[in-house]
Amino acid sequence: MLELRLVQGSLLKKVLESIRELVNDANFDCSSTGFSLQAMDSSHVALVALLLRSEGFEHYRCDRNMSMGINLNNMSKMLRCAGNDDIVTIKADDGSDTVTFMFESPTQDKISDFEMKLMDIDSEHLGIPEAEYHAIVRMPSAEFARICKDLSSIGDTVVISVTKEGVKFSTKGDIGTANIVCRQNTSVDKPEEATVVEMNEPVSLTFALRYMNSFTKATPLSNTVTISLSNELPVVVEYKIAEMGYVRFYLAPKIEEDEEETKPQA
Amino acid sequence: MTAREALALFFVFFLPLHCFTHSSFSFSSLSLSPNQMGIKGLTKLLADNAPKSMKENKFESYFGRKIAIDASMSIYQFLIVVGRSGTEMLTNEAGEVTSHLQGMFSRTIRLLEAGIKPLYVFDGQPPELKKQELAKRYSRRAEATEGLTVAIEADNKEDIEKFSKRTVKVTKQHNDDCKKLLRLMGVPVVEAPSEAEAQCAALCKAGKVYAVASEDMDSLTFGAPKFLRHLMDPSSKKIPVMEFEIEKILEGLNMTMEQFIDLCILSGCDYCESIRGIGGLTALKLIRQHGSIENILENLNKERYQIPDDWPYQEARRLFKEPTVVTEEEELNIKWSAPDEEGLITFLVNENGFNSDRVTKAIEKIKAAKNKSSQGRLESFFKPAANPSVPIKRKGSKCLLRSFKPSIEHAMFSLQFSYRSRPMVLGKLTLPKYNPGSNLSVPLSGETPVNNTKETNKKAKGSGGRKKK
Repeated sequence: MLELRLVQGSLLKKVLESIRELVNDANFDCSSTGFSLQAMDSSHVALVALLLRSEGFEHYRCDRNMSMGINLNNMSKMLRCAGNDDIVTIKADDGSDTVTFMFESPTQDKISDFEMKLMDIDSEHLGIPEAEYHAIVRMPSAEFARICKDLSSIGDTVVISVTKEGVKFSTKGDIGTANIVCRQNTSVDKPEEATVVEMNEPVSLTFALRYMNSFTKATPLSNTVTISLSNELPVVVEYKIAEMGYVRFYLAPKIEEDEEETKPQA
Repeated sequence: MTAREALALFFVFFLPLHCFTHSSFSFSSLSLSPNQMGIKGLTKLLADNAPKSMKENKFESYFGRKIAIDASMSIYQFLIVVGRSGTEMLTNEAGEVTSHLQGMFSRTIRLLEAGIKPLYVFDGQPPELKKQELAKRYSRRAEATEGLTVAIEADNKEDIEKFSKRTVKVTKQHNDDCKKLLRLMGVPVVEAPSEAEAQCAALCKAGKVYAVASEDMDSLTFGAPKFLRHLMDPSSKKIPVMEFEIEKILEGLNMTMEQFIDLCILSGCDYCESIRGIGGLTALKLIRQHGSIENILENLNKERYQIPDDWPYQEARRLFKEPTVVTEEEELNIKWSAPDEEGLITFLVNENGFNSDRVTKAIEKIKAAKNKSSQGRLESFFKPAANPSVPIKRKGSKCLLRSFKPSIEHAMFSLQFSYRSRPMVLGKLTLPKYNPGSNLSVPLSGETPVNNTKETNKKAKGSGGRKKK
């Protein structure tokens, strides 16, 4: 038995819009801790990890750990039927093969039930170890989205390098090159407009812009974005969801010339 | 149709959308090949008895993987389907067939574009035992040739199509052409001393490649840890790649590798006849009951089953267990390199009548793909972990049979649940629709013990996943 009541129903819509481009089908995991999802894109280059903590829900009931296999496009179709101010309740009975989304209008004069079929999804769950990152950049999410969009009109990949001076995004394409430097800037009126660079070691990593651009679909979720980089690790692009959790995107870097050995498969 | 016309038509009609992917060709005619080669009925046997060993994956998910491909099987497929209509085939100006080149070129580019690193393995000398099987194939081809002559005389289009496909034979010339092409493309070629599948399996066991791709189920009998089917199917068919894992097969069938090999021999392999009346399912029962072919022979009802007079099952077993393969690093020389542009143009355009623009574009694609393969995979950073959640959707009875454990878990959960759920029925009736957001929801959410909630709060904070300084 599962019953989750979210007053700010539009949040769920935004969450879904942020991950739908990257992943088609995914298992939503439910536990006493919260409502979460971990899924990789089909090429296993990017991963999305979502967490909505139980405290963020007005009512949260989950009797046991369980997962629901959902086609995200279909779920998005249903959620788009909810009004922006609607309260959304997610309900599922044990052993049932459907999940119900209930939308209540703020004035309580309209209640809609949408029942969606669940599916069996064989997904691999990856263990993501805690890591100390060499550099962490926090910046306005809209600014990051703009940079990714602009650079992808020039090239396919972005080199993100962090030095003491700030963070540099560069690309190279057939028509030329582009470099955008964002300096540390904390003297702004609103804290969400600040650019904060924390660095233990300089890093420089190359990523496919295609994925970065799809991560920025999460921009409506948060005013700021946090980018954590380490030389040997996938980048983490995190959008915090106020008082509830986060959407984190992990992206494997491009590897310079590849004479790497095939790792023995367990 | 002259060669030029054929090519022109081919390009105009089949390639405008996906340039070099054979979007329009069907491999349906090939369904016969897996039935004729390899282990009889193994796919179905595994689907029924070890379903966890098979997994469907998207073609794209093999991104960045090195994969050993059984070249002869692929060439055979290309000769059958690429640019064929009736007895006409894609040829160059000299009238030599070029279907295999076209197929090999385009399909390899498709792999490279997907970021896959293919490695082709060619057959060497077939083992003595396979000669019988080869002789059978030869006579089938001879029959087909006769059938074709009759069909042409009778002008029966359907039969012409059918028989001409059956007369297809991969010659040394075809193999040599493809080797030359692949080397020019910068794709590694391995010449197996004997069977290509055995060599593929050895490469996979040694960790040189991630998996083996073929349509021949033999690869599993040779012990390839991971085996892929449908990797070389055209994208238009949208068939997902089927991945088999030998470890899970043995686990699912509850067998040792030796017993699995015996099972394959009993089911019918290329090396020796099978016992009349014993198919895959009976073989599985017998192996489970007796453990090995030797013990089965001792206990088998000789009245009912006729064991062939000359039945070299021990030799067949040895061929599967210890096939002749190359393992020396120097001899293999597996390297992916840049394509030889001039060489490709000379070979494909000048010698084999390919359209020069298409080839130039294709070379660009190879070069672009080279860049793409430097993209890392998440699995090389994060390791798979068990997901503690149980699917809410209770699977059908078929799935309950798959493994014993989950069905017990389900039963436990459903028991717990029915016990707990009773008071909630009331809550469900009163809470959401009529008093939303009212006081009623408070006692309900308070049903979880208070200290428990605190604990989960802590956990939620602790599981932040990464530290900030």
